[in-house]
Amino acid sequence: MIIKKIVTYRPSFTVRILAGLISFMVIIAACMVTGVADLTQALTTRDTAYRSRLIEEGARVYMDQCARCHGVEGKGIEGQGPSLSSSNFFNNRVKEVGWNSTLETYIAAVTKSGIPLKSSPMWEVTHPPFLDRFGGPLREDQIDNVVRFIMNWRQAPIDTADVVEAPKPGEAFAPMPTPVPLTAAQEEGKNLFLSNGCNACHAIRGVANGAIGPSLNKLYEDALKWISSEEYKASQGKATTPEEYIRESIVNPQAFIVPECPQGACPAGVMPANYADTIPAADLDKLIDYLSTLGRPTQ
Amino acid sequence: MSVIGKRFVEQVKTTGWKSTIAQRLDDGFTRFTAGLSWNDVRGVLRGDPAPKPNPRVKPHTEAFWFHIRPTFYHEAVTTLYPTFRLGLLSAVFFTIEIITGIFLMIFYTPSPERAYTNMIDILTNVPFGSFMRDLHRLGAEAMVIVVTLHMARTFATGSYKKPRQFTWFTGVVLLIVTLFLSFSGYLLPWDQLSFWAVTIGTSMADAAPVFGPTVNLLLRGAPDIGAGGLLRFYLMHVVLFPLIGIIFVAVHYYKVVRWGISLPPEMEPIGEDNARKVPPDKRVNFLPDIATNEIMYAGVAFAILAISAATWYNAPLETHANPLATPNHTVAPWYFYWLQGLLKIPHIIPILPGPIAGALDQFFANVLGLTPKVFWGVIVGPLVFVLLFAVPYIDPNPSRRYGDRKIMLSLGGVFAALILYLSLAGIPTGVPVTGFGYVGGTPPSEIAQEFMPDEGEGELMTIPFDQMIVGEHAVKPDANVPNAPKLNQVLAEVYHSMEKRKTTADPLGQILNEEATASVKITQIQPDLKQISIIINYLDTTGAAQQYVKYKFIHKDSGRAH
Ligand code: HEC
Ligand code: HEC
Ligand code: HEM
Repeated sequence: MIIKKIVTYRPSFTVRILAGLISFMVIIAACMVTGVADLTQALTTRDTAYRSRLIEEGARVYMDQCARCHGVEGKGIEGQGPSLSSSNFFNNRVKEVGWNSTLETYIAAVTKSGIPLKSSPMWEVTHPPFLDRFGGPLREDQIDNVVRFIMNWRQAPIDTADVVEAPKPGEAFAPMPTPVPLTAAQEEGKNLFLSNGCNACHAIRGVANGAIGPSLNKLYEDALKWISSEEYKASQGKATTPEEYIRESIVNPQAFIVPECPQGACPAGVMPANYADTIPAADLDKLIDYLSTLGRPTQ
Repeated sequence: MSVIGKRFVEQVKTTGWKSTIAQRLDDGFTRFTAGLSWNDVRGVLRGDPAPKPNPRVKPHTEAFWFHIRPTFYHEAVTTLYPTFRLGLLSAVFFTIEIITGIFLMIFYTPSPERAYTNMIDILTNVPFGSFMRDLHRLGAEAMVIVVTLHMARTFATGSYKKPRQFTWFTGVVLLIVTLFLSFSGYLLPWDQLSFWAVTIGTSMADAAPVFGPTVNLLLRGAPDIGAGGLLRFYLMHVVLFPLIGIIFVAVHYYKVVRWGISLPPEMEPIGEDNARKVPPDKRVNFLPDIATNEIMYAGVAFAILAISAATWYNAPLETHANPLATPNHTVAPWYFYWLQGLLKIPHIIPILPGPIAGALDQFFANVLGLTPKVFWGVIVGPLVFVLLFAVPYIDPNPSRRYGDRKIMLSLGGVFAALILYLSLAGIPTGVPVTGFGYVGGTPPSEIAQEFMPDEGEGELMTIPFDQMIVGEHAVKPDANVPNAPKLNQVLAEVYHSMEKRKTTADPLGQILNEEATASVKITQIQPDLKQISIIINYLDTTGAAQQYVKYKFIHKDSGRAH
């Protein structure tokens, strides 16, 4: 019955005019409410929300593309890339390099086009271009977002002692120490380092760029430091000399896990543990001989 | 002095200033309304009975807008039944779409570099921008529903029969225009949702034999959707389909004037159309009755839409389109779920008993020369529309009475049920009862997707920022991280979701191993930015230990928490 009533319903003239007027007022009210909301608070609220989400997107791009050279906290990595989160970067860098625009555009420009020539011999790599049109992996909007993410460090810059600052342009550089020439056996060791794929994970200035395991630039120095450290004594490591430490690191990497790697804490179990089986003993000696030259003080 | 000026002066001399100006204004008014003086309009608005001779029919012969509206309707079609006002409402939504669409056009550039930024600008910098976008988006979805229902009602009342076959034909064109309008508009925000939905849609065209790749290339302007594709979709959305739509609405409306709205079937002598033979005492004049009636329905519909757009409805905008990363669970817009459902039919063929499946495979491959997927998606899909076009011609029954049309009405019902069932199967999770159509990843990836979807929001992302306590938290039913009730609640929810997947297999037969564990890890990235990861340790199907990790960055002000 009720269905029949609904179905045969024909609104009277008064109902039509009233319903029409009420609808009209409701529409005006909806417009006014959104208008007032937009002009007072709503636009700003949405603006903040969307800007925040773009920073989130930028964080993802940064971790995927930049962290391996500039570090997860933007502190920079020696030989790989300078700090992007220090006070110096935020306050002085634009003036230092003579860039006639804002820091945002400086970051965007460097990221898009890369730096064609190394500005200092302290860098082992040149800055690659990231914009897709320049052959890089990122779209323009992704680069805009990564700029937003880097600028978000400005509220609390990171100035710890281990920050790697970019050198001032034209600053006189301490000449790089002339490398001690390698012996024939050590040359062979270097080739073994490459042929065994160690370079996929480790960096050695001028030789390899891996960023999964620790950089081996100052391995000898580090080894000396580790074997006398509390952490090492608490571990299963048994080495007493740097050479022993290096051997142990290769044949039994689990004995002691180095605390810090380029992408944060060093992962355990990532470095293959079977090199003792795959590398012949004589080769292993040459490899260790070579690795011990890294960061060993010259007599 | 000019002739006109002279006449004016003479009139002032004979009748005085006041009366001359009043009469001149009324003249202008009458010209504007194409035949109604101010007093006539006043009478219309007050609901006065029409004087004789009736001046209110004049606009119907004189004016363009009124000439595609009838002078009067039969009383019997002015109740809610038989039209339910669905045709009118289709036109109302079409108009709303055009008006709001023009507003949005002002702020939009069809280029991959600008489109997404423009969308954000519309939402965050343009007063009424978000409102207009919500109106446009919700209006579009409402229009698809209303147009479909309008078709269902003209089918049910048998109004497609002689002499209205052509009305029905233009109607089907309008249905297709409506769907394509929605679909082409879908791409324009250039976010992940739109980009992948349209990529899936156009790749269906690609699968068609012979002309498919060409059609696909024409649509996309390049092998993949990019700048060319966006521009083409934009032009289709704002020029091509609106133009076809406007032309066909005009023809459709003209046909409704020409044949009148069909009377309720039981009032019609079988096989004889009497909609235009209305006895004088059954006439309801367009002015004022039908006009005010329509304005009222239009007003109510618009008011509901406006209230929805201003309150609960928010058109989604996900992250920027990324051609290199397909989000999990990409779907076509809901009104194409049935097509997705069709595409999944091949998956049940391997389930059929061996010989039948083999024979079917043979049939498709050898006799038709098609893969089953192409057959269902590209041949059967468009065939649905061919079928709709053909309805007036395959139904030879002259009677419009429900009792005489049992076969046709049941066929229509079966058709509707099929479309509904296929639509359900088109949802990634499949038909709730049978699971038919389920697609999904491994259990860990599905758990992560549930709480931290690739696009859109999940529970793990809506934890208030200050409750995202830095550290690694094991997933357990009684998680008790201090000062973080929401975090604890979500940890428990993840736990229960895991337990469910440990005890019941999903429709693909996958089950999570009993010992699987999970944790949620939160790290501080910047003072107002945290990283939240879900880490699941499980055994894969070969029994090897695996770890599944998925993470998101969450900003304090991203407005997700609720
Ligand atoms: C392969 C290592 C590497 C990657 C990856 C890398 N950079 Fe760099 N970046 C460098 C080096 C090296 C420099 C210094 C180059 C020079 O001055 O010649 C540098 C310099 C910069 C500078 C200028 C800093 C200053 O103080 O002048 C910015 C800004 C920058 N990078 C941003 C980025 C962004 C953003 C990303 C990620 C999209 C990124 N970089 C990825 C190596 C890298
Ligand atoms: C899959 C990546 C990977 C490969 C390949 C790899 N390593 Fe490592 N390596 C690591 C990681 C990670 C660490 C730090 C964790 C640890 O101490 O086990 C490490 C640590 C080391 C250390 C200790 C470094 C220090 O500062 O104390 C040495 C030495 C080393 N690796 C040498 C090698 C040599 C030589 C090879 C090739 C034969 C090699 N690695 C291959 C990942 C790798
Ligand atoms: C944009 C889309 C459409 C608009 C604006 C529209 C508009 C209208 C209007 C205003 C009427 C008058 C009667 C009524 O209100 O029901 C009508 C009638 C009709 N429409 Fe549509 N329509 C559209 C789509 C369709 C579709 C998709 C079909 C069917 C496939 C269709 C078939 C018909 C038929 C057969 C009639 C005659 C009904 C009768 O005389 O009882 N129309 N249309």
